[in-house]
Amino acid sequence: MSISALRNPSDSEPKKILSGALALFVHVMFIAMMVFGVNWKNHPPEGMVVELWSELPKPISTPVTPAKPSKPIPPAEPVKPKPVEPPKREEQVKPEPIKPTPQPKEVTSIVKKPEIELKQKPEPVKEIKPDLEELKKKEEAEKLKKLEEQKKEQEQKKELEQKKELEKKKALEQQKEIEKQKELQKQQELQKQKELAAQKQKEQEAKARREAEAQRAAQQAAARNQLASEIGKYKALILAKIRSRIVMPPDLPGNPVVEFKVTLLPGGDILDVRLSKSSGHAAFDSAVERAIFLSKPLPLPPDPALFNEFRNLNITVHYRE
Amino acid sequence: MNTTVTQDMSFLHLITSASLPVQLVMLILVMMSFLSWWYIFRKLFVIRSEVNRTDEFEDVFWRGADLNALYQRAASSRYESGSLERIFAAGFGEFNKHPAGSDTEAVMESTRRAMRATYQREMDRLESHLSFLATVGSVSPYVGLLGTVWGIMNSFRSLSSVAQATIAHVAPGIAEALIATAMGLFAAIPAVVAYNRYATAIDRLSTRFESFMEELSNVLQRRSIR
Repeated sequence: MSISALRNPSDSEPKKILSGALALFVHVMFIAMMVFGVNWKNHPPEGMVVELWSELPKPISTPVTPAKPSKPIPPAEPVKPKPVEPPKREEQVKPEPIKPTPQPKEVTSIVKKPEIELKQKPEPVKEIKPDLEELKKKEEAEKLKKLEEQKKEQEQKKELEQKKELEKKKALEQQKEIEKQKELQKQQELQKQKELAAQKQKEQEAKARREAEAQRAAQQAAARNQLASEIGKYKALILAKIRSRIVMPPDLPGNPVVEFKVTLLPGGDILDVRLSKSSGHAAFDSAVERAIFLSKPLPLPPDPALFNEFRNLNITVHYRE
Repeated sequence: MNTTVTQDMSFLHLITSASLPVQLVMLILVMMSFLSWWYIFRKLFVIRSEVNRTDEFEDVFWRGADLNALYQRAASSRYESGSLERIFAAGFGEFNKHPAGSDTEAVMESTRRAMRATYQREMDRLESHLSFLATVGSVSPYVGLLGTVWGIMNSFRSLSSVAQATIAHVAPGIAEALIATAMGLFAAIPAVVAYNRYATAIDRLSTRFESFMEELSNVLQRRSIR
């Protein structure tokens, strides 16, 4: 009996396909997690849409200004639609903040006026026409068989009346035009005033800026002066300390001068002393050099920012003071 | 600026825009990961059913069932036998082959050999593909790292041609490169966990098999002496 016969062939690998499906599922889950779970897209800040309003209360003020000139014209009816429309137009215009205030005003005022005119014109015509018709009817009823001449006369009269009305209209229009011009003038004046005010403001700001700058400059200068005085003070202290340690060689002719270049460390220690200009007398030079080393912790200002001024010191010593 | 800020950073775009070596690495990693998960599930089912059958058979065996009946069921019937059953069948079959009255030592020796052979075959069957899991667990992080290093190398090389270097120039390249590492780790972590779990489970099974073999040989020896 062979052992291989004991082996159950179906047992060799159960659930192979199921495992494959599960593995696939795991990977699909993983990819889904990577695609949807992690927010890969970094949404840029969208550039922050901001409406720049050069002057805040515009929407309230504008409907008021055109209302003034419209006072002589019939009551409130034609005026009402205006305040509704102008803000819309302004909003449309405003997103371009570069050319600020004056433009929207002009646009609104120009657009509004024709409306007023249109509404006014038709009204008087309608009122008069029905009158005429009534007259006509009466005349017809009374004098049905009157001659055409009379009619002609009437027509002539009518024409005359119409002419008069036209003249009236024209006068009205002229008046309106004058009013318009006045309005325009007023607005122009307002603009000029505004511009003047803006200029004044600018000038004032510029003045203020200049003054501030001057103040700042003065402060800086003062600070610099203070620093300079501090530096000078400590340089003098250093020189005094060195002078006090010099053992002067006796009886040198004239007033020889020696110059040393001293490199300092923070804290006053001396890193390097170099003779940059000899006095011509070796004894004097060496005496001064010794004195520099002897006065080793050189006095330095407590402010470490000032140390840069002392890093490389030029020390000039005169034989006679 | 805008072009760099609003760059498409979606996962699929990152993968498709990666350089060819990185894509190759990703492909290899996906295949490794898929295979390792496949084996993880296969081994999971195999080992679980093996443990169940071993429990069952030990239960039946120690309840004092008739050995001949058990052998008949394990050998002849085509029902799914477990490893322990097969070991028992091999040993008991070998024991029965010897005629009564033959040398007990020799019979026990050959019985033990037969059981050991089956045991080793069963262990081999159980342990198959485990080494693959170990390989995936140890290698795929390095493969992912290779892809990442390659991608970062490329992104830095492209950085050299830019006058003003900003993080926006490097970031997409590094992101797409890091996906390779993520994939490597995704393949490696479950593989390592599964390898350790399965190795322990198989170890415990093997000790159970071995002790059963010893006990069975004792039982058979007593039978032969009687």
